[in-house]
Amino acid sequence: MATFNCPKCGAPVEFDVKDRLVRCRYCSSEIFIDKSGAGFYYVLPFAIDETTIIGTFRRWAGGSTKAKDLDKYAHIVSVKKSFFPVYLFKRDVDGSEQVFVEPAASTTLPGLHSLKVPGGDMVVYDKNFDAKGVDMVKPDIDMASYLDKLPGRAKEQALVYFPIYVLDYAFAEKNWRTVISATSGEVFSGDFPRRSSSAYMMVAIVGFLAFLTEGFLAAVDPLLALALIGITVLVVFGASYFVARRM
Amino acid sequence: MSISVGLNCPACGGAIQVADGEQVVNCEYCGSMLYLEGDGGVNTIAFKMKVDRGAARAVSEEWFRKDWKARDLRKEAKVLEIYPIYLPFWSIKMRVIGWICGYDERTYSDSKGHTRTERIPKEEMVLNDYQYSEIACDPGDLGIKRLRNFLGESEFEDFGNIPTYEATTSKDEAMKRIGEEALNDARGEAHVQHVTFERVHVLPRALSMIYYPIWVVRYGYREKMYIYTVDGVSGEIISGRAPGDPLFQSLAITAGTTIGGLIAAGSLYLMAASETMDPTITLIGLAAGAIITFGAYMFFRHGSEIIEGDFTDKKYGLGGLDEMGVVSDLLKGRIDLGGRI
Repeated sequence: MATFNCPKCGAPVEFDVKDRLVRCRYCSSEIFIDKSGAGFYYVLPFAIDETTIIGTFRRWAGGSTKAKDLDKYAHIVSVKKSFFPVYLFKRDVDGSEQVFVEPAASTTLPGLHSLKVPGGDMVVYDKNFDAKGVDMVKPDIDMASYLDKLPGRAKEQALVYFPIYVLDYAFAEKNWRTVISATSGEVFSGDFPRRSSSAYMMVAIVGFLAFLTEGFLAAVDPLLALALIGITVLVVFGASYFVARRM
Repeated sequence: MSISVGLNCPACGGAIQVADGEQVVNCEYCGSMLYLEGDGGVNTIAFKMKVDRGAARAVSEEWFRKDWKARDLRKEAKVLEIYPIYLPFWSIKMRVIGWICGYDERTYSDSKGHTRTERIPKEEMVLNDYQYSEIACDPGDLGIKRLRNFLGESEFEDFGNIPTYEATTSKDEAMKRIGEEALNDARGEAHVQHVTFERVHVLPRALSMIYYPIWVVRYGYREKMYIYTVDGVSGEIISGRAPGDPLFQSLAITAGTTIGGLIAAGSLYLMAASETMDPTITLIGLAAGAIITFGAYMFFRHGSEIIEGDFTDKKYGLGGLDEMGVVSDLLKGRIDLGGRI
């Protein structure tokens, strides 16, 4: 845990990211942490291991909009871990609190343009934090450059590192890349091989029109219509089962 | 400038005890009443974790069987990881108070085909209390955006070793969103079709931060990794992903096209058979047939993964329609169904 020295007795006081008021364990004075005048460094630790990430990728790849069999045939080329930085600003704008998230590093990674701070158990990033050799992406945009532009009065500003897995995979002779959050398993996808809806749509439209016609026919010849409806049910079921499994 | 400020009683110099969100405290030494100025802070409570690891695992037994999930899920699923977390929620109480005036319209038709529209004037008083919640961080892929209940037993923040998600959204922005929601809900409950006059106020009554205990369970099914979350107070499943089954997908589209097609045929037939029939009934019948088929199609197309909870990628069912804005448009009356449905 991060510490600072008690302004009363000088003893080290431990504090967590969410603390605004802490009590010194030695002299029991209540201490207010004023975060408006300093920049903090926070980090979200890795909460998901690599095996789980690969399983999560396979689940995502099996999704209905992804190319058929992407989950089975996507060949994972590499899985890289890194910490990615964003700035988090809390400002007081005319008496109401507003949160701004701004980029801290330029990136070509897919899906990281929709800026946010992923939920997670944030800790203070200081010398006690062990990154375990994982690459920390260096911020190439200065925090100060935002401070002048943002509206209102500063309440808190921080550089937040969040953990990601960068997954490179090959499918149908092309290379793709996707980024997965290591706190919740959310997939920040860029582009991916897509599946066409046309076979699905075809079954639905042909089925609907067939039943519509047969319903009409029922007014003329109920027995024939009933027989045809029975056959159509079987055909639609067979066709849709094939499409759901294979297309 | 130092970032830490020691707090003392200005009257006697004794150390004062104060919690987040408090505005008035008494000095415990000299009894002075002190008013705290500055960044107000928010009352924070945490709910006690009532559900143990075993129970979080056991709820899957029933859940795996329900709602068109893969038939062999119970046999094939392997729970690989179960861990508790605390998620932060803004909990906001709102009172909506005021008057909404306007009129309802009703259309009658008699046997000769004459229609007559009647206006019923309305004057509704609004006095409602609401309690809402909104997650105070990015939920990522947990599928939780709001609390399902407020029934937890509170304890003062003591998370032990349970990872606690940080609150990263603004309380005032949450308050604003929830204020609009309260206003919409109050309007809905007033049931005035055509509003001519409205004076309604939204009064925030209390804001607090609730840390809510949740179990996150990850399970594997044929090399794929799925997740579900369990309410740490009630023990119910809040959200989750599970594999679907192609059998149910094809059953859905078969039933959907059959019912949809026949309803559409029936309504067309009715129009052809009788000349005095109101054509709008046929239109409604056709639309109903098409909607049923479309709903079935969405499940057929996207039912290979069963999604429950506040996920953004759910594409079938009412949640899926909601994503497309159809349901919310209908509810807000933007799509006019002729005032008959």
